[in-house]
Amino acid sequence: MLEAEFETDRREFTVALALSIAAGERLALFGPSGSGKTTTLETLAGLVAPRTGRVTLAGRVLTQTPRRAVPPWQRGVGLLRQDPGLFPHLTVGQNLGYGAGAHPDRERVGRIAAQLGIGGLLDRRPGEVSGGQAHRVALGRLLLARCEALLLDEPYTGLDAVLRRDLTDLVRAVVAERAVPAILVAHELAQAQAFADRLAVIDRGRLLQSGPPDEVVRRPASRRVAELVGYQGFVAGAGPGTVMGVHPERVVAGHSDRGPVLTGKLTACRPAGAGWEAELATAGETIRCLLPERPPGDGGELVITLLDPPVFGPDGVLLPRPDQVRA
Amino acid sequence: MSTRVLAGQPAQPAPGPGPGRGPARSIRSVSGAVSVGAAALIWIALLGPVITLFVKLSPGEVMSALRAPGALTPLVVSLESGAVTLAVLIGLGTPLGWLMARGRLPLPRLWEAGVLAALLLPPLVVGLLLVFMVGPLAPIGEALAKFNLSATNTFLALVIAEVYESAPYYVLGAQAAFAGVDPRLEEQAGLLGDRPARVARRITLPLAAPGLAMALAVAWARAIGAFGAVIIIAYHPYGLPLQIWTTLQETGLPTALPFALVLLVVALPLPLAAYFWSARARGRVRD
Repeated sequence: MLEAEFETDRREFTVALALSIAAGERLALFGPSGSGKTTTLETLAGLVAPRTGRVTLAGRVLTQTPRRAVPPWQRGVGLLRQDPGLFPHLTVGQNLGYGAGAHPDRERVGRIAAQLGIGGLLDRRPGEVSGGQAHRVALGRLLLARCEALLLDEPYTGLDAVLRRDLTDLVRAVVAERAVPAILVAHELAQAQAFADRLAVIDRGRLLQSGPPDEVVRRPASRRVAELVGYQGFVAGAGPGTVMGVHPERVVAGHSDRGPVLTGKLTACRPAGAGWEAELATAGETIRCLLPERPPGDGGELVITLLDPPVFGPDGVLLPRPDQVRA
Repeated sequence: MSTRVLAGQPAQPAPGPGPGRGPARSIRSVSGAVSVGAAALIWIALLGPVITLFVKLSPGEVMSALRAPGALTPLVVSLESGAVTLAVLIGLGTPLGWLMARGRLPLPRLWEAGVLAALLLPPLVVGLLLVFMVGPLAPIGEALAKFNLSATNTFLALVIAEVYESAPYYVLGAQAAFAGVDPRLEEQAGLLGDRPARVARRITLPLAAPGLAMALAVAWARAIGAFGAVIIIAYHPYGLPLQIWTTLQETGLPTALPFALVLLVVALPLPLAAYFWSARARGRVRD
């Protein structure tokens, strides 16, 4: 169990968060660049001192301002960054055993190396292994150092998609096996979803919403959250002053009884992934949507149905669904 | 900085006749040939004095000069004072270099400017000023006198002069060496459970070692060859440079030359060894 409540000052704003992650739980901190995600991890790891706050891990008080600040080397908190940070003067095997005491158990090192698929690399230098292998070594090094919480600062950004998925699955398995709390920081929603069973959206140092990843995406608590999780257009809703959020992937072509119908002029259309990205001009708004089939006729009329769109009131806060109001 | 110049030289050419390697490729065009020629010319010109020394000296002259009574005393003095100087530099200069590299000092530019000023002051001027600073009439000199010590014309004075002439080279070299160590690695070692002293021993020093060795080697050469400050404040006891100077004054050029050879033999092996070792160590880490 990792619990934290703190305020850490940054140059432009203060990061003020309250987090609680159970053992074995995987939380994704999702937010735009510069929203305070890395600062949060560094505060938990003891690399940055909060102005006020309290951090506890597995019953141990790590930070309790102003009385207590356990130094990083006594925290038992593992941090993975985008750069695996292997020690270049040591072999892979020595890197793995670095935090495991003066005489690391060779058998244990070998077992974890085999589990991570790097058993054959123990005598190599970090400069001789690939990027994906280096990340495996970095993960194994944390596991052998008996860390009690795992912090991941966008470690697999920049790796190709297959490798990224492999490594993410590996970390998920490790978290489940070790039953440690884990936090992944991500500025791409897909990465956060691939990892986490809970998604926390932060912006400018504040927690905006926290919940299961699908719920956060489908029922964003506010217009700002909607923007952050990928809603790209907002059109007038039924009530006065209300707007509906349009997510490009929560749209089907044509009339349907599954949600409100929008009609507009098709202004652009280009291939996107396996489908087509269409731009629709409607009531002064340009809406982007992803459709599985190419819409017919440039400049022609296009009808789309929004699947269960979130509706926001004049103050930008999510309104309850009509059926929930009735109940 | 001379350390940077030396440290920046490429580690020995990669072995193996791969395409694009070796001299054949560099001398394919006229401009390539001209630039290689120019480089060789400068290289030989720089080594000229050393070559001249070996051409001019006959083994007989060397032997007779070295067999003279007391001829080797200055060598011992130089080795001893150089060793003490290195110990002082390692003990005091290493932490300063680290602090400067990590920006842990208030007003970092001021500290850097101070070290640079010490580097740029002519040694002769440093010697003159040292007389006023630690001489018998200065407060420091008077304090030393209470312990029956003197900082003029003593072994202590020699060490002080050598420290002044070599410290800036070592501190700046150490700063460059530490700056080359990624602070993220130190941070990671800390998160893996190492307290700062262990991080320094297991990560920072091993990774900075090639650069530190180069800095130390340059400092050694400066200390052993120190002359400007030494002749003012520590005329006695003779080290090698002053032995060369006084021999030159008293009996002329030919008798001074053998001692130049001795100075070279003493001053060069450490820097050369450090250079080859650090080039190898860098190559190993980069592989």
